[in-house]
Amino acid sequence: MSAPAVRLAGVSKRYPPLTRRGKLHSLKGALLHGDLWRVNEEHNGFLALSDVDLEIAPGETFAVIGPNGSGKSTLLKLVAGILQPTSGSVEVEGRVTALIELGAGFHPEISGRDNAIVNGMMLGLSRSEVMDRLDEIVEFSGIGPFIDQPVKTYSSGMYVRLGFAVAVTVEPNVLVVDEILAVGDEAFAHKCLDRIAKLQRRGTAILLVSHDLGLVEQLAQRALYLKGGAPVLTGPAGAAVARYRSDVASDEAGSESAAGSSRRWGNGAVTLDQVDLVDGGGRPIRLLMSGEAAGIRAAYTVRMPQDDFVFGIAIHREDGSYVFGTNTDLDGWKPERLAGRGQITLEFPRLELGPGRYLVDVAVHAKGGLAYDYACEIASFTVTAPVGWPGCYAPRHGWNPRGPAMTPPSE
Amino acid sequence: MKSGSPKAGVLSSLYRNRGLVTVLVARDLKARYRGTFLGYIWSLLNPLLLLAVYTVVFTWVIPARVTSEVPFPLFLFAGLLPWGFVSGVLLDAAIVLGDNGPLLRKVVCPPEVFPAVTVFSHLVHHLLALPILLVAIAVAAGNGLVRFPWTVVLLPIVLLIWLLAVGGLALAVAALAVHFRDLKDLLHNLLNIFFFATPIIYPLEMIRVPVLKRLIQANPATPLIQLYRDVVLLGRLPSLAAWGWAAGVAAVFWLLGSWIFSRLRETIAETV
Repeated sequence: MSAPAVRLAGVSKRYPPLTRRGKLHSLKGALLHGDLWRVNEEHNGFLALSDVDLEIAPGETFAVIGPNGSGKSTLLKLVAGILQPTSGSVEVEGRVTALIELGAGFHPEISGRDNAIVNGMMLGLSRSEVMDRLDEIVEFSGIGPFIDQPVKTYSSGMYVRLGFAVAVTVEPNVLVVDEILAVGDEAFAHKCLDRIAKLQRRGTAILLVSHDLGLVEQLAQRALYLKGGAPVLTGPAGAAVARYRSDVASDEAGSESAAGSSRRWGNGAVTLDQVDLVDGGGRPIRLLMSGEAAGIRAAYTVRMPQDDFVFGIAIHREDGSYVFGTNTDLDGWKPERLAGRGQITLEFPRLELGPGRYLVDVAVHAKGGLAYDYACEIASFTVTAPVGWPGCYAPRHGWNPRGPAMTPPSE
Repeated sequence: MKSGSPKAGVLSSLYRNRGLVTVLVARDLKARYRGTFLGYIWSLLNPLLLLAVYTVVFTWVIPARVTSEVPFPLFLFAGLLPWGFVSGVLLDAAIVLGDNGPLLRKVVCPPEVFPAVTVFSHLVHHLLALPILLVAIAVAAGNGLVRFPWTVVLLPIVLLIWLLAVGGLALAVAALAVHFRDLKDLLHNLLNIFFFATPIIYPLEMIRVPVLKRLIQANPATPLIQLYRDVVLLGRLPSLAAWGWAAGVAAVFWLLGSWIFSRLRETIAETV
């Protein structure tokens, strides 16, 4: 992997107290000691973010999730360079563009065109660079002839579309996005996602905050789950989302919340003892020929009998990208009773995976998300194939040349 | 990063972002007269009307004559014009960061750009009003009321000194106003006091009480306004000491202002 596009090491952010007394105190400090504001920063104020370590590779999309007030936006602003960390270091490679509020700072009295120029320059382009891209911006925003009208006449949708159009045309090395894909109509939302996918392919590192967990799983490879300013888990997006959902569910149920490491958590009602990849005969294996029958078998022990439970299994590559995932609920199995010890196997008549190494996540949780036991990367296996096909899907296939004169493979 | 590391000086950051400053000044000017019928003509008309009123009032209503050299309306105008520049800049500087809060909080944007934009857009207005003064002086000279002050060729140097002083003050006011909201109200009063404590509507020579005279001489704004009026109206070549004193004051203002600004710079985005 090349040098990270974004690197945060031990980053904390403390906001100063904004009380009247704090202000007067700091004014006095400013006037008497000349130590302008910094005086009470060290021990007072609100710790919005504590000790976050993070690396994002170029081209990677990284999500930050968590409840309101957990420090997500603070983290984005630190990466964007809008705020400075109280301690730790933030390193960003190349040009950063922040989509925190689209069209922030548009001047209502001047035209959309002039605003686009100002906005583009603010995002770090030179005047001529903006002029070169102006047609593209107008085209993408779909504002048409209104571009020469003052923006105070724009609808909120037009406003946001213009803001987005400017921000993505800047072609940043790092794009920081705060919950903005929810804006605009359906068609524009698709356009935005297309454009984000294009930036991903170009190698733009994207840091994304969203409460739309489905979108996070769809867009991001990895995610950080923040709670009360502290990182709970950094890992594959699916796992981080699952952990977050589990916490939300346990808070709602008022039950014992899931505890554990970043790799494995749960409230302990059920424990996954052993997870194996098994061949067609049920024997544990580590190595598998592509296209052979196989299964993933999980053995469990129940401490507190449950009648609301779902078993889920996910397979992903080492870089965190998902290959396949399902659970008993998705496949229509209704839970009745889970007690004692037992095992459950997800069987594949033909596991048509491409050659390479795969990791397995196994979970048993309540239907609402509360994790009994959630084990990330609890097992791994390697698939071999006669030919080194790229990709992770290797279906049975054959060539049928009708025209080209070719010799079939000898065999 | 384009916005510059926080350690970099204010001046170098402004130089790097000169394109942005230019565009924002143009935006300010464009937005200011947007929707008005006369547009930029207002920049000329406002001072012209002001001058007309002074002329009527101080020629026929209260015939005032404070120097033997020039008619009072011209004297007053040549003092009020630069004073309007300073007070306009400072009053705007006190709110400019708050007004641009969305940009500071939501977009990566170096904060020093905004006080600079305030200074330069007021400078443009000042430069638009200046010809009115010069034409009025020329008309008066044509009628034999004054000698035309050829020292006016030195005006660019004077304006440079003014720019340095006003720029420093604007930076200090802008940064401090973010943290101490009281500054805005305080500023109104301070400007009122300085308006009368600076020889704007009266010449320094008119003051008879020695203590008062020394006090007003000690006012750092005094050398600046005197330099300006000597050059642009009275046709006196300022002494080297006068140049040095004014330039010294300006340099101190600038250094102090940019120091305060860079000390508070990092905290602006989260406080504004």
